[in-house]
This record gives sequence, structure tokens and C-alpha cells, in this order.
Amino acid sequence: MSEKILTRNVGKDASLAAYEAQGGYRSLRKTLDSMSPADLIELVKKSGLRGRGGAGFPTGLKWSFMPKEKDPARPHYLLNNADESEPGTFKDRLLMEHDPHLVVESTMLSGYAMQTDICFIYIRGEYVQATKMLERAIAEAYDKGYIGKNILGSGWNCELVLHRGAGAYICGEETALMSSLEGDRGYPRFKPPFPAVSGVWGMPTTINNTETMACVPFIVERGAEWFSRIGKDEKNSGPKLYCLSGHVKRPGVYEEDMGFPLMELIHGLGGGMLHDDRPLKACVPGGISVPVLRAEDCEVDLDFDSLSEKGSALGSAGIMIMDSSTCMVEALLRTTHFFAHESCGQCTPCREGCGWMERILTRVLNGQASSKDLELLLDVANHIEGQTICALGDAAAWPVQSYLKWFRGEFEAKINKEAECPS
Amino acid sequence: MPKLTVDGHEIEVAPGTTLLQAALSQGREVPHYCYHAGLSIAGNCRMCLVEVEQAPKLVIACATPVAEGMVVHTRNDRVKQAQASIMEFLLINHPLDCTICDQAGECRLQEYAAEYSTGRSRYEDPKVLFNKAVDIGKHVLLDQERCIQCSRCTRFCDEVTGTGELAFFQRGERTMIGVYPERRLDNPYSGNVVDICPVGALTLKEFRFQSRVWYLKNTPSVCAGCARGCNVMVSVGMQQEMMTTTGQFDDRVQRVVPRVNEEVNDYWMCDEGRLSYQREAAGERIASAEGPAGTELDWDAAVLQAAEQLKQAAGSGRAAAIFTTRLVSETYFAWHKLFEGLGQVRVGLHRIARGADDKLLIRADKGANAQGAAWVLGRTDDAQAVLDAAGRGEIDTLLVFGDTLDPEDTPRIDEETRGRVQHLIYVGPFLDATARQASLLLPAAAWSEAAGSLVNFEGRVQWSRRCHRPRSEGRPGWRIAADVAGHAAVELPQWSSAAEVLESLAQSVEPFRGMSEERLGLLGISAKSHATATA
Repeated sequence: MSEKILTRNVGKDASLAAYEAQGGYRSLRKTLDSMSPADLIELVKKSGLRGRGGAGFPTGLKWSFMPKEKDPARPHYLLNNADESEPGTFKDRLLMEHDPHLVVESTMLSGYAMQTDICFIYIRGEYVQATKMLERAIAEAYDKGYIGKNILGSGWNCELVLHRGAGAYICGEETALMSSLEGDRGYPRFKPPFPAVSGVWGMPTTINNTETMACVPFIVERGAEWFSRIGKDEKNSGPKLYCLSGHVKRPGVYEEDMGFPLMELIHGLGGGMLHDDRPLKACVPGGISVPVLRAEDCEVDLDFDSLSEKGSALGSAGIMIMDSSTCMVEALLRTTHFFAHESCGQCTPCREGCGWMERILTRVLNGQASSKDLELLLDVANHIEGQTICALGDAAAWPVQSYLKWFRGEFEAKINKEAECPS
Repeated sequence: MPKLTVDGHEIEVAPGTTLLQAALSQGREVPHYCYHAGLSIAGNCRMCLVEVEQAPKLVIACATPVAEGMVVHTRNDRVKQAQASIMEFLLINHPLDCTICDQAGECRLQEYAAEYSTGRSRYEDPKVLFNKAVDIGKHVLLDQERCIQCSRCTRFCDEVTGTGELAFFQRGERTMIGVYPERRLDNPYSGNVVDICPVGALTLKEFRFQSRVWYLKNTPSVCAGCARGCNVMVSVGMQQEMMTTTGQFDDRVQRVVPRVNEEVNDYWMCDEGRLSYQREAAGERIASAEGPAGTELDWDAAVLQAAEQLKQAAGSGRAAAIFTTRLVSETYFAWHKLFEGLGQVRVGLHRIARGADDKLLIRADKGANAQGAAWVLGRTDDAQAVLDAAGRGEIDTLLVFGDTLDPEDTPRIDEETRGRVQHLIYVGPFLDATARQASLLLPAAAWSEAAGSLVNFEGRVQWSRRCHRPRSEGRPGWRIAADVAGHAAVELPQWSSAAEVLESLAQSVEPFRGMSEERLGLLGISAKSHATATA
């Protein structure tokens, strides 16, 4: 892809004037002037846009779950999930820091589709610069009437509130985010009820990832067909931000079409492996929680369905490259430590299981484990998976399952106290 | 109404019912920790996972509403494996200190470990350590290591009392229950968190290390602490059966816990009521009948004296009696019948009022049977009016029936008034200040020692039971009236139990019509709805 869509303003003037000069807020104006909320939902459905936060759920379909007829006693809320905390993921940060008005416009535009009363941007607390940029952009947008009462003369009233998180991975989980926004502990909630029925403060709520919403102004501007033609196919379409990190020469955020080949990302845009004599060993393609890929499975396109076929997931498109020097036992221990540390502690399997897995892995790494510990480790992971309120339990289990599946020899070598790692 | 199949049985339940409620209603046990019928659904313990056909994952029964045609399995291999895994997770960091835990014997972890776990642990790593015996409130101690983070206690404080003292702190496996900084669990209902704690994390200071629960005999009864009439379970020691070597007989009340009655107290009771047995136990007792200046009398001599003193004064219209509003209806009734036979006896009621009504259970009227007294005795005076008359020298014989729960709740008589009364007959369990002034003492059974009906402020008639032997020669109040009647030539029916007195009562006092101990059962009857139903 030659034309940058989402990242067109990166590194440029982030002021309102510059954004408007680029055609900014034209999509919001156009929509409020000429489209009904239902039209907008239909448009987004047609575009094939799928959530960029991790699960890849069709965005237009999610929007359509909101009540069509508005009960005046039940305000509608839209949450822009900018609590980007998945290790290896830093794409939304780029948008907020460099193009805050895109984030503001896309949030308001999405809010219009659901006739929201208030939109919230829940931003990761550590994102200080992004917070400053958004605060300024929101103030400017209020002054210009893009937010507030009777927006652009349409009769639609909607506020936009920026809310900073306090540093918990779990608060990026959509229902935990809602609990946190309400001022409670960031505990996920069981579903049903789904947020569109009972979300924040028990009101109809929709929550989307920042990058997902950022696509919407362009869909309005250029059409659903344009969007759906970008990328691999109708179900895997649109521009996509890839967060490349690990053992590559040029880590960073790259905007490419959905379905960009992984090897091209590593060896082309990424400048190749960090050390020329250390080949690719493994890749985690969608943020730390998705199953790991072996090098031989890395001939794959980076989109929802292609990665799913390989037994992994696009997730948040946090692509972490590991070269031959990587100890997979250490990598998994570090991963599991993260989940044990970030488990909210609400439900039993994840609260107890994550710490257990970490302790087993610590013993494996230190040569204090026996061969039956690997079976135990896998069993613990299997009993966490699918038995928790939110997906964090699955997120903690998948790395363990996949590392053991593909790199079991390395774990056994540690147990047998072999001097050399077999890889 | 949706029809569904649970473990092969087709059932039909009301829409909106959860799978857990549906299964429980069919007598199927679905193990659960965090679910409590009186609290919101938390869904966090994961113990109630069941399989619903067509659903990709197991679902939690507590939060899944029934739907038409659902096919549910609560005990197939997949569910059993999930249950065993949850038990394993819960136990890896549990201290397993059952031998010194008050909860042992009524602990969900123990029960489910026997029923749903594999019976062995694969855990070899160090356990997560927390604080034990944390003093979090006036009545409650917290053992953070035993806690399974079910959140019942925090939900209770958030949803039932609205006081919100308790919360989770830290995260992941470091998660622990605690009180907010500079706060204490000091709401008037704090003891309930101990009852609803499914494990031994929250224990009641007053019951801690007092008894193993399997040495307790439990009797369903009614709290006499206020006009609410919370349904309770009274536990008394029965260690004499276990400790024959010492020959010790200790059947004191060890604890009182609420018993579910959605019409009265739901699942809860207040701390004052819960611990009212302590006031009863602490009161100095009248050991046996006494005459003037502490002379011991045998029972017949004592009731003969009482009969003569009452009869003589009643004949000249100079007899009076004062009752507290906490006695059982049968006692009021027997004395009422006696007084009718004697002639004119002026009756005064001593009302016990403290504090204010709250929004949950507590009533300012501490007279647990003020309504029953009014129904049985009809028009009465206030106790003070009777005492005023005595102070004017209008009363020769004054009978005071002291309180049966708390010696502090017996009406006091000043020395001057006492000097103007010739005979002060005191009936009651406690040797309180008024008893010490009396010329004749007749020991009565205390609240937990005798049965009878209590009518709460809403007119609900409930049966309070005898939970253990009287600690003195105290007799039920109605029986004392009957004994006196026998010496006063007043004919009363030959009652042999409070239940028989109730039968008489049911024939002559309208709101009680048709009632019996059996009909009152465990939950009592609302006199109002009862009247409508029998009309």
C-alpha cells in the first residue's frame, strides 16, 4: 500500500486547523447532514470492518445490537477503548499522539450511529502525552461545535469525556473497563447481559477499539466498497496498523493492508532480523496472549482468518519477533508472570491458576522440576481456559498451551538439566 | 413457562429463573460458593459450571437464565472435571487448617472436597501467605488465608446494609478481603457476614473456639430482642454426651444465627439480637422460690402465698400486675385468666423502647410480643400508671413479671413506692433490682428455656421454642399462673404444655383463632392473612 490512511498525519501538525485543512471533520458533517444513524450502521456493516482490539467482531453488527428506539430515561453510551495494555501493542498510542482529532472525530461519528448521549475515551493511564494531545483536541472540538449541544446544527447532543485508567491490564477488557469507568474495581462482568442491553451504569453501551473507530471517517468519506476492497477479502479488509517489536532491525508501527504477509513485514519493512546470524525462531503475532507461531508457520498473511488457520490470532496485531537466541522457557515464564500479575483475582481458575503456572515454570527454568510437571502445567492451563468470566483466563492459557506444543523439547531440556538448549 | 431438561428430567419453571435455582428447586445439588439467594449474582467462584447442550463452553448455572428447550447436564464427566478443577484451584493456597477452624463441620470447602474433588492435591509449591485473625470489627475476625474471594461479605455490606466497609484489596492471587483504611466492620448487622461466609474466613469473636459445631444441638426459634421477631436457630452445647468422663453438663446457648423467613427477616438478623443470649446468660438468676428476707420456700408454699396475697387484694380492688412486653402470649393468657377469676386486678404493660426503627430489621420497640400482649390482655394501663397508683397507696399486692431476656428491661420501682405496697410478688428469671425488693420471688424460665408464641409488629404469630433446660427452678410463666390458680380456687384448664395453652388461647382470643403449634410451624402465620383465609 502506498497511500497511508490511518497514519497520514503521523509526524505532522496535530492542530485542529491542520486537521480540517486535510478534510477533517468533513465526514462528521456529511453524516450529520445527510445520513440517518441506521444508514451509518448499514454502511459500516457493508464495509466489513472488524474490531481491531483483539476479537475481530464485525463492528456494524455490534452497533446494531443497540436499541433502535431510544428510551429517554436510558441514555446511550459509547466507549472508545484506548486502554492499550496488551504487551507488544502500541498502535492506538500513535494515533492519539499524532492525530488526536481523528480519534475525536471518529468517536463522535461512531457515537452518532448509536445516538449516544456521552462518549468516553478510556485511555491507558501511562499514556501521558496521548492524554495531553487528546485533552487539547477535545477542547478545540468543543469550541468548534463538533461536540456538545446540537452538534453542527443536527439537533444531536453528545458529550465527549476523556477518562484515564490507573494502570491495570484488565481494564482493557470491555466489561472491566465499564466497572472501572463507574469508579469500581476493574472487574469483568459475566455476559449476558451484553453491554448493548446493560453496560455502563446499566445503560445501553457499545465499546470499540480506538483503531476500529478511526476507520469510520474514511469509510464515510470513500465508501464501504472502497474499504472492503482493501486487504485480503471481504472479511479481512481495510487498512491495518501492525506493531512490530522484538528481534528486528526496525521495530515500530506500520500501516499496511489487512492481510499483509508476516515475512514481508519482518524482512521488508522491519529491516530483517536484528542479528543476521540469528534466524527467526518464533513469533507471537497478536499481542502476548495469542498462541505462538513457530518459524515454519510464519509464512502467513496477517489477517483474522489466515492466522486463525495457523492456530493463532491477529489479536491486537502486536507482532513480537523472537530469534534463535530466545529461551522459550524464559519467554513463557515472562509471559505467565505478566498474567499472574495482571489477573484481577475475581474468579477462581485465573486467580489461582496463573500463579500456579508461574511457580511451576520458575521451577522448570531453575532445573527444579520433574517431567510430570509439564503435564501438570498443561493441565492447569486447560482448566483455566474456558472457565473464567473474561478472556484473560484464556489469554493466560493459550501461550502455555502453544509454547508446550511447539517447544516442548526446550522445557524437557531444562528439566533434564541439559547444558545446551536444543533449539 | 419454559420447559427444560435437567439431567434427563424435564421440568417447567418460571421465566427468568436461573439454571441454579431451577436445579435446586428439583432437589439437584449444584455446588456453589458465591451465589447467595439474598445477594446479587457475582459469578466468580465458578463452582456451579454446568453443561448446556449447544453452548460452546460450560456456563455458570447461577447467572444463566433458563430457556425453552435447554438441555442441561449438572453431573456429566465434563462438569465433574470442571468441578474437580475448581476445587483444586481453591485448595492450592488454602491453609487446610480445619483442625483449628471454627467452620469445620459446616464448611463448604470441606463438603465439596468430599463430594466434588479428586481427593488429592498436585500442588507442591509454597502457598500464598496472608494475615490470620485480623480484627476487622467489634464482632468479626478475618482469616485472609482461608478466604476464597467469593465476595458474599462485600456484597452484603454493599447491598444489604449499604455500609460498604469491606472490599477486595490487591490483585490476582494476592487478592484479599479487608476493611477500608480507618474503617471497621461495625454496622449493626456485621455478624451476618460470618453466617454467609462459606468457609472459615470470617468468624464471630463470641463463638470463636467455643465449640465444635458437631457438639451443638440446634433448635429453630424466634429472637425476642425486638418486635421484628427474626427467625433464628439457637445452638446449645451438648457436650455432656461427648464428655462423660468429666460429667460436665453444659447446655448453654453457644450461638444464635438467623433462619430464613422471607416474610420476616429474609436471611439476616442484627448483632444485638444475635448476641441477646449473652444478656440472658449473664443475668443473675433466682435459684428457687423465696419468701421475705431471702427465706427459701418450697414451690407449693410460695404459690400458696402468692395466691392468698393476690386474692385478698383483688377482693378489695387493690391488686395490680405489671408485665414486660416480651413474654409469650401463653403467659399473658394464663395470668389474664387467673386475674379474671380473682376479680379486679389492674394490669400495666411495661414497654421497652430503645433507639429507632431502621430500614432493614431493627425495631425501636424491643418488646417482642407487645402485639400479643395487647391482643390477649385487651385494655391495659401503662406500667407507670400502675406504679403511680401504687405510689399513692392504692395497691396492696403488686405482681411484677420481670423480663425473660434481659434483666435491664424489667421495670424499676422506687423505694417510696415499694414502701407503700404491702406485697411485692416478683415472677421472672432474673434476680434484678426489682426482684431484690420483692417480698416473694417465683423463678420463671427465661426466653430460651420455655416455648410460646410471639407476635411481631406486623401481627405475625410465631412459635418460640425451648432450646435447653432452665438454668434454675424457673418454670414457664403460664405454668406459674396455673399453679397460683390452683391455690386461689380459680379454675383453669389442666395445661401440660405451652402448646395446650395456645389451644385455649386459640378458642378465646380472636386473632389467634384456629392457631396451634403445628400450624404455626417453623415460619409462623400472619394473623391478618390467617383471618382472611379462615373467614
